[in-house]
Amino acid sequence: MFDRVALGIVGTAIVTFLLGWTTLFDRTSPDTAVAGLSLFALFGVAFLLAGAGLIAAGIASNVGLFKTTADQYTGLGTGVAFGVVGFATGGLVTTILFGVGATGSALAGLVVALIVTLGIAVLPEDIGTTLPVGLLALVWGVLLAAGFVDVGWVWDPPSLAATFHAPIVVPLVTIALSLLVAWSGAIVAEGFGSQGRQNGAYLMIGLNAFGMIAVLLLLILFVVRKGLPTLLEGAQFGPGLSISVPFLTKGVMLGQQYNGIFPAIVGTVWLVVGAVVLAIPMGIGAAVFLTEYAEQGRFTAVIETATNALWSTPSIVYGLFGYAFLVPRFGNRNSLLAGMMVLGFMLLPLVVITSREAIKSVPDEYRDASAALGVNQWQTIRSVVLPAAMPGVVTGVILGVGRIAGETAPILLVTSGAPFPARAPSILGSFRFTATPPFVQNEALLQASSALPYQLYAVITAGVGQEEAFGWGTALVLLLVVLGFYAIGIASRIYFRRKLHQ
Amino acid sequence: MSTTELHQQVRERFGVETIDDRVVALGAAGALCLLVSAITFLIGSPFTALPFAGFLFTVAYGLYEYQAATAKALSFLATIGTGTILALITFYLLVEALPAIRLMGAEMFTSTSEPMWRTRGEEMYSLVPMMWGTLVTTVLAMLIAGPLGVAGALFISEIAPDAVREVVKPAVETLAGIPSIVYGFIGFTILNDYMMESLELPTSGSLVIVGLVVGLMSLPTVVSVAEDAIASVPESMKSGSLALGTTDWQTIKSITIPASFSGVSAAVLLGVGRAIGETMAATVILGHAQRLPDPLYDVFGNTETLTSLIASQYGVASGTHMSALFAAGVVLFVSVTVLSIGSQYIERRMKHQLQGES
Repeated sequence: MFDRVALGIVGTAIVTFLLGWTTLFDRTSPDTAVAGLSLFALFGVAFLLAGAGLIAAGIASNVGLFKTTADQYTGLGTGVAFGVVGFATGGLVTTILFGVGATGSALAGLVVALIVTLGIAVLPEDIGTTLPVGLLALVWGVLLAAGFVDVGWVWDPPSLAATFHAPIVVPLVTIALSLLVAWSGAIVAEGFGSQGRQNGAYLMIGLNAFGMIAVLLLLILFVVRKGLPTLLEGAQFGPGLSISVPFLTKGVMLGQQYNGIFPAIVGTVWLVVGAVVLAIPMGIGAAVFLTEYAEQGRFTAVIETATNALWSTPSIVYGLFGYAFLVPRFGNRNSLLAGMMVLGFMLLPLVVITSREAIKSVPDEYRDASAALGVNQWQTIRSVVLPAAMPGVVTGVILGVGRIAGETAPILLVTSGAPFPARAPSILGSFRFTATPPFVQNEALLQASSALPYQLYAVITAGVGQEEAFGWGTALVLLLVVLGFYAIGIASRIYFRRKLHQ
Repeated sequence: MSTTELHQQVRERFGVETIDDRVVALGAAGALCLLVSAITFLIGSPFTALPFAGFLFTVAYGLYEYQAATAKALSFLATIGTGTILALITFYLLVEALPAIRLMGAEMFTSTSEPMWRTRGEEMYSLVPMMWGTLVTTVLAMLIAGPLGVAGALFISEIAPDAVREVVKPAVETLAGIPSIVYGFIGFTILNDYMMESLELPTSGSLVIVGLVVGLMSLPTVVSVAEDAIASVPESMKSGSLALGTTDWQTIKSITIPASFSGVSAAVLLGVGRAIGETMAATVILGHAQRLPDPLYDVFGNTETLTSLIASQYGVASGTHMSALFAAGVVLFVSVTVLSIGSQYIERRMKHQLQGES
């Protein structure tokens, strides 16, 4: 009976939690009526029931109606957590009801927080974890069910630019309170004590993980749904194996039935290829030197710090660097080559870090066994260490490539040209050898190019209108490219790990 | 580094292994070629290709004749190159930022009198609004990414059953892969409209949306680094606690989290670095007003971040204006580098401590 009530409370809270999100994103309308009650009134009733249930459970445990393992005191940790809730509630309520300014409401919030923290910390655990949540739920339930806060409710704080309407505020408060109620209910369900607290904490942490997956899936699905119509516009499948998707194979030209992003795709491919060609030999070389040749000391520590600093350097700073350093040296204009080099510099630290990890994890026995055959250090590295480390290196590189393929900021500064070009750069076809310096010329490499992320940015800056669908199509292709790299990278890691454990 | 030093390096590093003088000569020739091509490239000479071809030729010959020594030398060069890139970035940012800093002096980072940013007529470049914007968005982002990220790391490392972990971990990594411009596009087309409509915001774009989006974007960084830290707590410490009859959660609370605390804070610091440097989402979402929000804590207001300032103005900037953008880059670079070094220091200390305890 006792844990059934508790599970009911948790279940109710999770339902209101999910409904809160759907209401926030306009998937369920606040006007939805079930059995004559509006959605908000339903929330109110749910909170009234849950609050009453929690308080009843707490008191029942406290007076000994049910045998639980509640501790003597709630403890300071939970007290502080409630203090934070008290601060938010106290501060908001005082501003909304009495219209005091920021300082006043912060002070009021602090006072409430202090009282709540100390008060709850010394309460018996079964009261301390249920009563405050229950009371909050009851108050919120009354406000909603009795119609004090209905769809037309508005709060316009004088100091903020925003005006808060009920369709936003009610779901937000409901989501926050639902979490509290679910946590408290989960504690009750295990009969308080250390088991109860574990249950409560695990529920919260699990919901968080679930939330992250949900966000990822929603993002992807959303982009797919928005972008797919554009991507498939004018696409023909068949007869037989002939497939034509103009969005992927055409540029933007006047008088063309379907415009596409082919030049941007080619631009991104070349950028990635260039960056990989630059970063991989250099990165693996540095990793080999740091792990195999160099003595671990000052020098390696400095390089390691520098690598990590490079890794966390913001992409726009790389862009500025390319703008100041590379662009003037490549004919003072944006060029594909500058973009390749900047992206290569960005990829480099990641290659160094992951390759080092991979090389370090090769067991020393391998090296000893090879050395025992009488070969020198380089032969050991070449035929034993590097092959053994390759899976880790490859995985790291693929993930890194996924990252730089979506980079926009550096391209914006060093590569971008016409936002919607008609033709793709032809790199292979434009090598020229001349008798005068610089002897090798490649017009296409030194010319500005488009790239998928840049094209998306161009759609935004061009002002959204009829271009928006084009933007969603681009976003979908970009997402597919990047997630494709990630999928391959993660799959290869799983594959190699399985192989290792066989 | 000068040529003589390089010679010495080559001698020290390769003289011991092979006493062959020809290797030293070859190494010196290669190093000289590379140095000359670096210098010609720096001064922008069209003759860069010549010495570089010489370098490539030396390498090719070296790989054919003295493979071991050449490979070692090349890997050493790659290492030096990695460090050089950082040095070049620092140097060029500072040099380009100097004119603006000279014009404005310390006022560039302190002046709060209107107007704070004027690019025509009497020029005025104060980075205060942008620094404030970056600070606010970063704090908002970390309020989201910090707790949720650590909880996510705990879930993956300590709580999830193996089958669930196999799904959640790659999913979080994939979340890190979604390009920032895609987040920005969603923020620009969906969230901005939503906020204007539902919250009656006077302008499109607000700090709170940027904070939200950037928080979501730095979440995976916090999760994966914090997870590494939590997973590195030795099993023996946890089993010792569990053997006393504690629940898993009690062990997590009183052993795992305290033991990995410094690693977890390093993860949060890295997340802060990511949030500070995030460019495209802020550029696309914000309305680009180079003044402080009024009142300061109005997170629904519109201002500018350091990153979005650079990305939105580089195209129209020249002269001192461009230099002021580089100054913004310097502020970004310095703060992120300090955070990175700080988090590395913390991580190293944690590794040291754990080794002492286990």
